[in-house]
Amino acid sequence: MAMSLSNFVAPIFLLLCFSLLSRAATVTYDFNVEWVTSNPDGQFERRTIGINGQWPIPAMVANVGDRVIVNVHNGLGDWTTGLHFHGLFQNGTNQMDGAMGVTQCAIPPGGDFTYNFTIQQPGTYWYHSHVKGQYPDGLRGPLIIHDPDSPIANMYDEEVVMTLSDWYHDEMRPLMADFMSVTNPTGAEPVPQAALMNETQNATFAVQPGRTYMFRIINMGAFAAQYVWFVGHTMRIVEVDGVYTEPAEANMIYLTAAQRYSVLVTMKNDTSANFPIVGSMDEDLFDAIPDGLNSNVTSWLVYDDSKPLPAAEFVDEFDPYDDYELVPIDAMPLLDQVDYSFNLDVKMDNLGDGANYAFFNEHTYVHPKVPSLYTALSTGSEANNPAIYGANSNAFVLQKGEVIEIVMNNEDPGKHPFHIHGHHMQLVHRSEDEAGLYEDMNVTQADFPATPMRRDTVLVRPNGNIVLRFRADNPGVWFFHCHIEWHVVSGLVATMVEAPTELQSTLDIPEDHWAACRAQGIPTAGNAAGNTEDLLDLSGAETSPDPLPAGFTARGIVALVFSIVAAFLGMAAISWYGAAPLGEVAMQQVQKRVAESGVET
Amino acid sequence: MPNVFAVPVFFICFRECLETSIIVSVLLAFLKQTLGLESDPQVYRRLVRQVWWGTGFGLLIVIIIGCGMIGAFYGVGRDTFAPTENIWEGVFGIIACLIISLIGAALLRVSKLQDKWRVKIAKALEARDTTKGVSGGRFKRWAEKYAMFLLPFVTVLREGLEAVIFIGGVGLGFPATAFPLAVICGLGAGALVGVLIYKGCSFAKLQIFLIISTCFLYLVAAGLLSRAVGAFEADKWNKEIGGDAAETGSGPGSYDIRQSVWHVNCCSPALNGGGGWGVFNSLFGWTNSATYGTVISYNLYWIVVIVSFVSMRYYEQTGHWPLMKGKANTVSVAKPTTTNVREVSE
Repeated sequence: MAMSLSNFVAPIFLLLCFSLLSRAATVTYDFNVEWVTSNPDGQFERRTIGINGQWPIPAMVANVGDRVIVNVHNGLGDWTTGLHFHGLFQNGTNQMDGAMGVTQCAIPPGGDFTYNFTIQQPGTYWYHSHVKGQYPDGLRGPLIIHDPDSPIANMYDEEVVMTLSDWYHDEMRPLMADFMSVTNPTGAEPVPQAALMNETQNATFAVQPGRTYMFRIINMGAFAAQYVWFVGHTMRIVEVDGVYTEPAEANMIYLTAAQRYSVLVTMKNDTSANFPIVGSMDEDLFDAIPDGLNSNVTSWLVYDDSKPLPAAEFVDEFDPYDDYELVPIDAMPLLDQVDYSFNLDVKMDNLGDGANYAFFNEHTYVHPKVPSLYTALSTGSEANNPAIYGANSNAFVLQKGEVIEIVMNNEDPGKHPFHIHGHHMQLVHRSEDEAGLYEDMNVTQADFPATPMRRDTVLVRPNGNIVLRFRADNPGVWFFHCHIEWHVVSGLVATMVEAPTELQSTLDIPEDHWAACRAQGIPTAGNAAGNTEDLLDLSGAETSPDPLPAGFTARGIVALVFSIVAAFLGMAAISWYGAAPLGEVAMQQVQKRVAESGVET
Repeated sequence: MPNVFAVPVFFICFRECLETSIIVSVLLAFLKQTLGLESDPQVYRRLVRQVWWGTGFGLLIVIIIGCGMIGAFYGVGRDTFAPTENIWEGVFGIIACLIISLIGAALLRVSKLQDKWRVKIAKALEARDTTKGVSGGRFKRWAEKYAMFLLPFVTVLREGLEAVIFIGGVGLGFPATAFPLAVICGLGAGALVGVLIYKGCSFAKLQIFLIISTCFLYLVAAGLLSRAVGAFEADKWNKEIGGDAAETGSGPGSYDIRQSVWHVNCCSPALNGGGGWGVFNSLFGWTNSATYGTVISYNLYWIVVIVSFVSMRYYEQTGHWPLMKGKANTVSVAKPTTTNVREVSE
């Protein structure tokens, strides 16, 4: 499938012009979310979630300071939906964050819902459904915020949006059912069937010699991280997750699910050949590599469309740029006075239903009956007590202005990209693979960088650890989770309740938000269990299955005792029979038999 | 120090050899006590030879299949037996359980005969023509005649293949130098137990010895049945999870929690050779992960055993099975007393 660069550039250019005329416009989108069919890898046609009959879904584009209004109609018919604007701070509009069951009730089939917020930050973002497991079915698209005051504006000539994703031939709901089942005790995540670039394969980007392009690269995948490189060209990283960085040269970058990079790529001055752009899924994430899986996806920088499109050569090893080394252009210093530090220890284990769950500190996330934002808004001063959000919400209450430190120990042999809503986080420490617990590493603040890299999605390595810091300057209820969608399904989620008292006095929930809850009978007040009288009474709250019984339960003891008694009774019967003399009838039979055989007696 | 002793391999060899040598030594001791001291060395020798033929022939087949598997592993590069391993174990287990149970009862019954009658019945079995009669009866007589061959044959076959599979499973991580000593020690230790049983039983009275050894055989057989059911269930579970559950160790995922009666995350008789738990498993059918299937089959087996022996005693005394009408002619003859048989035959 061919795609001209001008397709991407034209609307962006127009918007740039508009933004020069009036700095605060209102950008309105009317999105009808509905099922369409698609076949992006040419292997399998499947039902896909599109918008207004189209898939891939459109890119959202706005300027810093713009008001964005998104009118969503759920035309799916058989599933709830909703949109989350990944990476946007939503300062003052937490209710527009789109985290289902946390900051709103999902939009029921046939329902309408309006998101209305002001853009506060520039950069490369994306929007996607935050209904559990939904976005990999197609509801994921770029969200580009242009910056009239960009410090890197003069460093490039044109910009190009390039998305990466992974693609499943099966729909997510049956895949989720198989994933969270007793027959998947190891929690093996379904492996995608294909890698995509701009939601297709073999895309072409027409380029001009000598020009510098800024590629806004977004990994919108469900699971797979991708290595990306431009054959024959080097990249200069200038932005990660909306944070401008000092330009950093890289031959290869690594994007976990949900991460974004803007890279500058300067074209060669001769047009004698075209060059591949390669995305390669990180196979370390996959428990088993299915036969015939092609983990790579290729697009081309086309200097001359009469020349052939060369196949990408194999690389000897993956050696991507380590984003820990990046330095933000604003030189925001290390947050060195920590007010509240806590651990999030990651592990995977099986619960009593046999399925494999993911845990933060011994608790796997289960959605509370009441969306946590509504709990925070309806519980007065008790909103500062994390217990009322339910043990399975993994709730932490942060007070306004505090510097928060999250120490994360990954006690799982997999890589995990952790994402926080509403914030950028400073990555002040990241260990290598297999480093064990942070507490055992003898790392002190002196070892932290003076101007740490910030972003909203951070990789933690297998059995390694990271330390993240941010200032609690954004009142709201913010999700913190692994952005591998399978791990959201298995519960690798925590809830940051930030300045709930201030939220109560500042936030207004629009009527259509309450209507979405009413339509589905979801309570909108009280603690996690929906209790409004005694807020500390969590009886009736949603909880995870009980742990697997360890060792002998009553049932096992009874069975073992029965078995032993049966064995002894059996042996008693044998002994009784063996000790008794042969009966008269039997003896006669023996005599008869011997006689019949003709052996002399 | 180079690794010259693979402990898991030792335990595998030991426990597989143990079961075989128990059965062989019980059979040999039985023959020696019933026939060897008595008048007919010819029949005795023939039956002893049957036992050794069965053992040897079983061993030969195991070696051939084992070599084939090793060849396939290094030639084709994969464990050809592994996907069907549990099916084999299950089938062999059930067959071995049946044979041990039938022969165990028969031996115990024979022990109750007086010496001279034992010789006579042995001769009678030898003399019986196996070529005539209806097919069912013919098979029964054939089986009776060659029981002393069949039992060790099937046992060796089963244990040997199991050993090959297990060693194939755990042993590949060890260098070749770690094998010989471990295999020899394992087989030696197993054989030693057999010799001790054989020697030990010479001191005991035949009937006592046979009661004890039959109890032991039935313990083994009950364990076999339970393990066979467990093997079939493990095969089904492996298919459901699309992999080898044993790869998950003994913890969650190594078993189907829906079927679980008890599960302890240790003491697995299958993992890494099984160690002492493996021995415990082959003697008594121990498992760290019991299911409804394995527990029910184990208990059911003992119920069948109890009912069978009680019925046999009843039949021997009355000439008909419990709850069935006796034939008129036998009832009139049989006056069930416990002592008259010996007196009559004396």
